[in-house]
Amino acid sequence: MESWLKKTLIVIVILVAIVPLGILGTWNYGDAWGEWGEIQDPAHGINWAPQAYFGAPLPDYKVEGWDSMLMASVGYWISAIIGIALTMLVILGIVKAMEIAREVK
Amino acid sequence: MHIPDGYLGPATCAVMFAVMIPVWYFAFKRTGEKLGPKEVPMLAVLSAVSFLVMMFNWPVPDGTTAHMVGGTLIAIILGPWAAVIGVTVALVIQAFFFGDGGITALGANCFNMAFVLPFAGYYIYRVLEGRIGKIASSAIAAYIAMNIAAIFAATEFGVQPYIAPGYCPYGLNLSIPAMALAHLVTAGPVAAVVTATVVGYLEKSRPDLLALKKIAPGVTE
Repeated sequence: MESWLKKTLIVIVILVAIVPLGILGTWNYGDAWGEWGEIQDPAHGINWAPQAYFGAPLPDYKVEGWDSMLMASVGYWISAIIGIALTMLVILGIVKAMEIAREVK
Repeated sequence: MHIPDGYLGPATCAVMFAVMIPVWYFAFKRTGEKLGPKEVPMLAVLSAVSFLVMMFNWPVPDGTTAHMVGGTLIAIILGPWAAVIGVTVALVIQAFFFGDGGITALGANCFNMAFVLPFAGYYIYRVLEGRIGKIASSAIAAYIAMNIAAIFAATEFGVQPYIAPGYCPYGLNLSIPAMALAHLVTAGPVAAVVTATVVGYLEKSRPDLLALKKIAPGVTE
């Protein structure tokens, strides 16, 4: 394996290891602006919830019921590992599909 | 910056998908033609990095959070068309597996983070690179691109009260200042520091990786 690829994969492993900081650093702090599930804002006379059309297997990078700081961190780790594995697989799959399409042509 | 389902009315969702279809078409076409054996694993790992950095939420002073995207970094290393593919894949997985960003809003989210952001970042970097060097220009490019993308997102949901009642209840007067604050003070600086650190490291240690083929409009080789 090329050395830059090895180093990048090590960086990814380190980022995965510390990824719980991404939720613990903002624990009970608030969501990103405009990403709320519901809005109760009497100051602006707003009491609103967006329509949710679809479910997701791990909504908000969480395993259902794993709500403590520790278990949410474990859920976040699992989500990160699944997410990066899927991302890399899909990219490599797309590249493969494009190669096949070129050969067919 | 991931707009959830239910925030954008059907017309906005449809328009954003309609804009993204030709963008995706050209991105796949150009990337498929140009991606070499070294660029393929690079795109795969950079897309994974993009997915991962979006999980690092940072506090914004007004009680919300924001995160960087990584689109400028991919655009600087592999070109903006490759970045369209890389960030789109991360956003699709976030939407379908983790409910982060709506599926009906996927066109809009990809427009902001996978199209506007990397293209803005790439061209700002190219304009500045020869004058102020790679490190400073990558920091400025990442910072400005992040903020342009945030303003696009804020505009898309901020216009809903005027055109599609029942969807996002906040108008432009609230959405634009809030999104600008979040990205000017939090996500923008994070993106600038991370992007410039990686570019600075590559410039010093692996300049060959900064000189990979760029998959960009007008670049024939």
